[in-house]
Amino acid sequence: MKYKNIDINQYVKAKEYIDTALIPLIPYSFSNDQELEDLALQGEYIYLFANQIEKELKGRVFLTPEYYYLKTDKITETESFRLEHLINHMKSQPFKYIFLLTFDNKWRKVTKDMDAELIWIPAMKGGDLNQSETQQLVQSQIEEIQSLIKDSWSE
Amino acid sequence: MTDKKNQVSRRQFLNYTLTGVGGFMGAALVAPMVGFAVDPLLKGEKDTDFVYVMDENEITNEPQRKTFKVDQVDGWYESQVDRTAWVFRDENGEILALSPVCTHLGCTVDWNSREEFSNEFFCPCHDGRYDKNGVNIADTPPTEPLHAYEYKVEDGKLYLGKAKSRKEA
Repeated sequence: MKYKNIDINQYVKAKEYIDTALIPLIPYSFSNDQELEDLALQGEYIYLFANQIEKELKGRVFLTPEYYYLKTDKITETESFRLEHLINHMKSQPFKYIFLLTFDNKWRKVTKDMDAELIWIPAMKGGDLNQSETQQLVQSQIEEIQSLIKDSWSE
Repeated sequence: MTDKKNQVSRRQFLNYTLTGVGGFMGAALVAPMVGFAVDPLLKGEKDTDFVYVMDENEITNEPQRKTFKVDQVDGWYESQVDRTAWVFRDENGEILALSPVCTHLGCTVDWNSREEFSNEFFCPCHDGRYDKNGVNIADTPPTEPLHAYEYKVEDGKLYLGKAKSRKEA
């Protein structure tokens, strides 16, 4: 399910079946040109990953609106508090499983004590989204993530 | 200052403007009507688009996963989207091309993916199951059979159209 009117109509009627939330974490920063380029590309990758995962598992996974945050050297307390607040909100809906999708390994420490599972994908620098090698790589990673989500359902 | 020859009389001026404006208003009224009248012609093309998927002699009794691209008009924009079909011949030798979209909530089903449910389509989201012909198995969440693509065979080539519900089955 996506955060779109047509999907929401279906979601509210079948809430008991959709127990998994997928939250893409997307950083941005305008302070350094190179970083800006990298982050924008990563944002596109995350969008692609999230959409493909949702496509196959539409009936059980809710793809939430992207979580945008300002990229800093260290994740601030305010930021981790904000994310935790969001996770708690989703948990109480209730979404039983919460997955965070990110390229930013700094979340690892911060989310340890949160009630969500972090899916960290090694960052992709450069590469062309339209190249078939990139697409194959992305596709195989997507399949891995899908099986990770499916495994956690059957635990 | 004024050139008498080029001057337009009040009556002429009014005549010209009224005809002009009236013409526009008339056109504005008629154009949508003509549009509605020929609309089915303009639209019809899209609905009957068939896409080449595979050669007829490649079709086996075992379902094969085939992807193909179709043009989709989605409100504002037109885009190419991937479609998937499970193509095989059923026990009567008829071609069957099933849509992999679970009729419960739209997850993607897989063929023969679980040992305990061999020769079945299985949905990983809520354990929905379908037999080989795509008919939903009782006591699993799906409420109707997997949709089947319309197909046609020309010169030994299989073309698929739209996936249609088979609720009566």
